[in-house]
Amino acid sequence: MKLNATEAAILRDLVEQMRALVKESDATDPIRARLFPDAYEDEEDAAAYRGMTGGDLSAVKLEALDRVSESLGNEGSKRIALRQDDAEAWIRALTDMRLAIGTRLEVTEYTMDLEPDPSDPSFDALQTLHWLGWLQERILEQMVP
Amino acid sequence: MVCMKQPTTAPDVERDSAADEAVEADRPWLVIVWNDPINLMTYVTYVFQKLFGYSYEKAHKLMLDVHYKGRAVVSSGPRERAEMDCFRLHGYGLWATLSKSE
Repeated sequence: MKLNATEAAILRDLVEQMRALVKESDATDPIRARLFPDAYEDEEDAAAYRGMTGGDLSAVKLEALDRVSESLGNEGSKRIALRQDDAEAWIRALTDMRLAIGTRLEVTEYTMDLEPDPSDPSFDALQTLHWLGWLQERILEQMVP
Repeated sequence: MVCMKQPTTAPDVERDSAADEAVEADRPWLVIVWNDPINLMTYVTYVFQKLFGYSYEKAHKLMLDVHYKGRAVVSSGPRERAEMDCFRLHGYGLWATLSKSE
């Protein structure tokens, strides 16, 4: 998998943003709520579950980001050959990035199907969202469940 | 996949009497995955195969259920195991919740 310098820079930047999001504790942030969903409808059960698993879930997400960061290196373009466990970390980290961007843009299945409109203020973010999905599918094609 | 839907009815868990709890204990917990407009169908299918060891056909069918029906029960069992499955699904960014089977 070949990433040009711009693509690699976008991913490094997203890794940093995601680290900050995962470490953030603002429960009212819709992105946070999507990355750490309530497991139960009952608020007490949901809070107990969150108390029990929240730290581990953060750790899992941060570890995936670390792996991506390691594969990307510090600068420039990158040719990346992923082992299965790296690939696993990549597809998870790419998912969290897509969830964060998609939640911020409040996408729906309808808007996801539309061709992004260059005059839309969200154009760049939408392009990134779709590109991350494309990248994820290229990695998935190489993976065995 | 389709538009966002809020989880609606999770049955109230009755904890007032030991008898109720004994009956409760017999009913398995369901792990439900909800549709979301962001995750890719190929990815969701992969996750079901990877986490639960399902065949491609079974994983694909569950993914389509999530997509078209808005949700699907992807596993069930004792509370502890259901919670672990839910945790692993959250680790893959899927929108999973738990509820007691009716």
